[in-house]
Amino acid sequence: MSTKHTLDVRGEICPYPMIKTNKFLDNKKNHFESIEVITDHPPALSTIPPEAIKRGFACEVNESAAGEWTILLTKI
Amino acid sequence: MTIQNPILPINNRYSAKILLLIVFLVTIYFIANNLGQTLQIFWLIGLSVGFVLQRSRLCFASGFRDLFLMKQGTTMKGILAGLGIAIIGFTMIMSGIYPEPNGVSIPSTGNILPVGIATIAGGLLFGVGMVLAGGCVSGSLYRMGEGYLTSWVAMIGIIIGNFILNQTWNWWWQFSINEDPLTWLPNEIGYSAAIFISLSLLLIAYIAIVKIETSVPTFIPPTITKVQKNISEQKTNFIQNFYPILTKIFKDGWSPVIGASVLAIINIIVFTRFAPLGVVGEISRWGAYIGDFFGIATPSLKGISSFGGCSLDEMMTGNFFAHNHFFMNTGIIVGSFSAALIANEFKLRISKSFIRYIQSFIGGIGMGYGAGLAIGCTIGAFFSAIPSLALSGWVFAFSLFIGAFIGSKIITKLM
Repeated sequence: MSTKHTLDVRGEICPYPMIKTNKFLDNKKNHFESIEVITDHPPALSTIPPEAIKRGFACEVNESAAGEWTILLTKI
Repeated sequence: MTIQNPILPINNRYSAKILLLIVFLVTIYFIANNLGQTLQIFWLIGLSVGFVLQRSRLCFASGFRDLFLMKQGTTMKGILAGLGIAIIGFTMIMSGIYPEPNGVSIPSTGNILPVGIATIAGGLLFGVGMVLAGGCVSGSLYRMGEGYLTSWVAMIGIIIGNFILNQTWNWWWQFSINEDPLTWLPNEIGYSAAIFISLSLLLIAYIAIVKIETSVPTFIPPTITKVQKNISEQKTNFIQNFYPILTKIFKDGWSPVIGASVLAIINIIVFTRFAPLGVVGEISRWGAYIGDFFGIATPSLKGISSFGGCSLDEMMTGNFFAHNHFFMNTGIIVGSFSAALIANEFKLRISKSFIRYIQSFIGGIGMGYGAGLAIGCTIGAFFSAIPSLALSGWVFAFSLFIGAFIGSKIITKLM
């Protein structure tokens, strides 16, 4: 069974979108197959994916609205 | 990271917005052209810098900070590439002014700054401040254009911090700065050795970054081959052939290497006619005007006129708007705004947590004070000083590095 989580980090400035995502991914208590990170911080598009890849996740970035993106991280 | 479904709404509303933007930018160009001789050039310089910074999301703060925070050096590697290009270009220009360094004179337009306790203290304060605020001075300028409210708060902090420094400048001048040496490497060891040492230091920094990056285990993802669907023969018309390149420039984010390299090229071009890029002198002027408004005059700053483009007394005369760097700094904000608007990613970004505004404000004060003390920010005292072959650039860089380390420790506690 796969569980899908959403992490909304809109309004957050550097480096918090990335730190919060890493924290979530590193927390052993979280059971999930994939997580969707919503951000409006462009630099997060280049900081979150490499960090997630380091941790063994596949990334897919989608533009969801003007100046907003969802980053889908799925366990490989 | 390529975005899967970039949205560029080529509709009437979008086209109207872009058209309006172009009319606005051109109007300001002509106003500047009428107001003074070189203002329109600085308007274009500012717009280009803002555009490049927004497209590449080049952030000096994250360049230093991410080395500690995530053991990642992508941004810093880009900055090193930019420095390398600028070192070569600046040396070409400076060796044209002084073919034979005589051991005493320094190119007056280069960013060669005093080396001393003020450089170190300034760098430390600036380093902590930029990490707290989530962006340096130029970073705050372009984020203001992208719609970040916290960056506007940081800018208020920067103006205040810089204003406080100017009130205490003459004390610092007596205490140390007036005796600090303006060490210009070509005067000590000649051009060849100066370039060789500067580039070698960049290489050492690069190796150190790779060492930092390999200190954490990296997961190498299996290569995923994308199955191309719907392959069909499609006739593209002439215009459509431009889409890929236009998307690369105006929609996709640039890599830090591209961003920093283009910024370095702009810096070299500006130096061929004026002085290298720097944004703090103008912010100092804003502070002095605001101070005057509230009845607190800025004292005459001792010795400051000996550093390129920094004479506040001279800057306080004439029309407030008729100053090159007024058009450059506002140009950075507007250039970044334009880039964000074209990419359809402009948005008012309002942080919900109060602590972000506090840390941006305090970080701004630290940066404003530090930049005043070191006579420049990550642009003037670092990105323009190292290529000017000034020792001060390296001392400031090292202090920024330590400051960013302290800053990184603080911000992880402010979740």
